[in-house]
Amino acid sequence: MNVVDKIAAVLRRDFLTAIRYRAGLAALLLATAGELGAFYYLSHAVGAGFRPDGMAYFPFVLVGTGFFGFLMAGTHALLTAVQEAQQSGTLEALLNTSTPPAMLVLLSSISAFGRQLLQMLLYIGTGLLLCQVPERQTDTLLVVIVFILSVCISAGLGLIAAALQLAMQKGSTLLWLFGSVAWFLSGTLFPVTALPRPAQVISSLLPVTYSLQAMRLAMFQSDHHGALLGQVSALALFAMLLLPLGIAVFSLTLRRARSLGTLSFY
Amino acid sequence: MPSIVLDRVSKVFRHRPAMFNWFGRESAGATRALDDVSLEVSAGEILVLLGPNGSGKTTTLKLLSTLLLPDDGRVLVDGFDTSKQGTEVRRQVGFAIATERSFFPRLSARENLAFFAALDDIPRKHRGPRIQYLLETAGLAPAADTLVMKFSSGMYQRLAIARALLKFPSVILLDEPTRSLDPAAAIDVAETVKRLSAKGTTVLLATHSFAESAALNARIVVLLRGRVVAQLEAGSHDASELRNFYFDATVETAGAELEPQIVA
Repeated sequence: MNVVDKIAAVLRRDFLTAIRYRAGLAALLLATAGELGAFYYLSHAVGAGFRPDGMAYFPFVLVGTGFFGFLMAGTHALLTAVQEAQQSGTLEALLNTSTPPAMLVLLSSISAFGRQLLQMLLYIGTGLLLCQVPERQTDTLLVVIVFILSVCISAGLGLIAAALQLAMQKGSTLLWLFGSVAWFLSGTLFPVTALPRPAQVISSLLPVTYSLQAMRLAMFQSDHHGALLGQVSALALFAMLLLPLGIAVFSLTLRRARSLGTLSFY
Repeated sequence: MPSIVLDRVSKVFRHRPAMFNWFGRESAGATRALDDVSLEVSAGEILVLLGPNGSGKTTTLKLLSTLLLPDDGRVLVDGFDTSKQGTEVRRQVGFAIATERSFFPRLSARENLAFFAALDDIPRKHRGPRIQYLLETAGLAPAADTLVMKFSSGMYQRLAIARALLKFPSVILLDEPTRSLDPAAAIDVAETVKRLSAKGTTVLLATHSFAESAALNARIVVLLRGRVVAQLEAGSHDASELRNFYFDATVETAGAELEPQIVA
């Protein structure tokens, strides 16, 4: 089985489809610029005195919203891969190929991950250009490690969301609920320490909380070795648990859908 | 070894009402799609499944393609069990799915086939010539680079057959392959099926068309309410002969000895 070949085929399909829908890119760029502007002026309104987790507010919120958006969009991409295939009628044709189903779903999300990665780089890069962070301590290797572990977690959660879509045809509603709770509790816009104690406990169970904190530390405060080690260890644990769990849950749910005859229900 | 074995296969689809069934109009129940069906098909044989709507033809094809799993019994393709060896089965089986919406509308016919060829592990160097050959065989070469969203129903149907043949499968499943085709194209499909059979490919074809069945000189199995109710050995049968055979089989057996299709 040639995985690189399959990735190339999926990327080619998605690229050709994307360029044949002409309106998308301009709208995306406009939305990104609007969001950046809003957070830039918000950080000015908040003022320099507010330093969540010991850093200026703009880089804090920039990484929070940019990386959170990337991870949630990646998770959503796996669910969307199944949902769109059900709705467009291609799911049965895809599942009749010799590519294993979990790999099919992961492959189908590659373009979305790539698109979101570009958008995030544009978003965070432009933001950092707009607002210099003088005391920045970046460890590129750690940034890459945190990124890879977070993508693994996002893919694992995405496979579980895709399984929910197969099982109850309303995976997107549950994912929306999860995303909303995670957005509020994971320290996207404000530090987790600002939350009441019970909410902090829930926050500590969300992998995205560790992703955001670890990414901020790796990008701006990589000299905080102890804190970074703790966050990266937690991320590695979540990744080792969630990716195999996602594959297993998806495979079992797919088998159940084949058994019940609900594969293409939506 | 037979190419296809269905050994006492049963399949029941259970349905339950929606969560908020305000007026109680939906009722719980089950549809017995296949009931203790046993069949064997030899390598290179053509088997035609005839039967009214809901008789279990498409369910049989989906069980063979692993899109469904049996509740009871075993389904084997080239010795591989569809319940346990799905990946091996899918390598052997090409399924021409009878829906226009199973392609990517903003890709051309050639691009669609290239995409599915990659997922089917067809080596890159073989893809181009094979796709070209299949497009020509399906009569789609002039439209090869047209986006499939502009295709007619008949063109989709032919493209579905081309896709099913991409991996040169040992078993091909055709679900009403001539449904939207003009008479000339339907004859082409029959010729293609016979050619495949001559080369050793096993063909299972579900249809309502007596003319299509007659053109294949194939073994006929009549399904009714999920059961095999009659079989006719391969040979030269004309369409009117098949029509009489079919109605004799279905009218005679449609009475008391079969369970109702909807069971509580």
